[in-house]
Amino acid sequence: MESNLVGYALQDLGILIEASLVFYLAWTGRWKGQGAVAFYLSSLVVGQVTRACFLHEYGWKSLRYYYAYWSTDFLLVMSAFGIVCLFFRRACWREEKMWRLIRLFLVWLLVLVAAISGVFLSLNRHDFFTYFLVVFNQKLYFGCLVLNTLLYLMLHYMNSADDQLELLVCGVGIQFAGPTAALALVHLTNGGRFAKWLAYQTIPLCTFGMLLLWAYVIVYVPKSAGGFGPRNVPLPAVPPELSKL
Amino acid sequence: MKNLVLMFLLALLVIATASSLWRTFAGTATIDGVRPLVAIGTDPVPPFPPPPPKPTK
Repeated sequence: MESNLVGYALQDLGILIEASLVFYLAWTGRWKGQGAVAFYLSSLVVGQVTRACFLHEYGWKSLRYYYAYWSTDFLLVMSAFGIVCLFFRRACWREEKMWRLIRLFLVWLLVLVAAISGVFLSLNRHDFFTYFLVVFNQKLYFGCLVLNTLLYLMLHYMNSADDQLELLVCGVGIQFAGPTAALALVHLTNGGRFAKWLAYQTIPLCTFGMLLLWAYVIVYVPKSAGGFGPRNVPLPAVPPELSKL
Repeated sequence: MKNLVLMFLLALLVIATASSLWRTFAGTATIDGVRPLVAIGTDPVPPFPPPPPKPTK
């Protein structure tokens, strides 16, 4: 019961933060500059409000909530893929040639995931929903995890000057890596009691962590010019008399 | 054409990495005999679905 109460509180708080951030972006006129963030937050609001309606109407253990949860998860995973693509675009907005290559790579990735899922689904038509979940959603989720890590490494390797983007990418990383780490713990402990409890709690907690980080970034970290290039101003030359010391 | 093939191979590499992660971390993990899944959102996760049946030949 207590766990359920915490779960419901986390759900309502999450929706509240998402809606507040969308409102804040619209109110301050940053909607256009933060299009990717606004798009993802709006998807989260739509998906989570739908889930909340089903949860309050039919209950946590109902089959309808189960279907509503995993169907809206498809929307959220697709949106997550979309935001990772938009972050790639933002990361190399001055590098048109590089963006053309990355765009090709992202299209290939989505086509391949869809094709692999299509093959599995055609072999298992009798259990379409479960296979659809396991194959397409989970593969795209883990694909986004790898893509986000690649984007983070790329930002560091290319010495990006966009601090806001780096923090936003870190937020997405928390959301993707947390549940994966919890599942790794379940695997390592053979479904131990703590790991079992953690696996149920990690998904909402990590999304909540991402929302808190994003809230900080959106409100306090200004959007810089971005692009790749030297992060810091070069140090002034050392005077000759000091260089001899 | 060269870029098309290169990007295809890169996409294949990413999918292979993602599949390996899935198999290593999630594919073999079970809670009470059912396979847990990863998701997005702050909502309470419904009881995990039963493992998919093995494909029939």
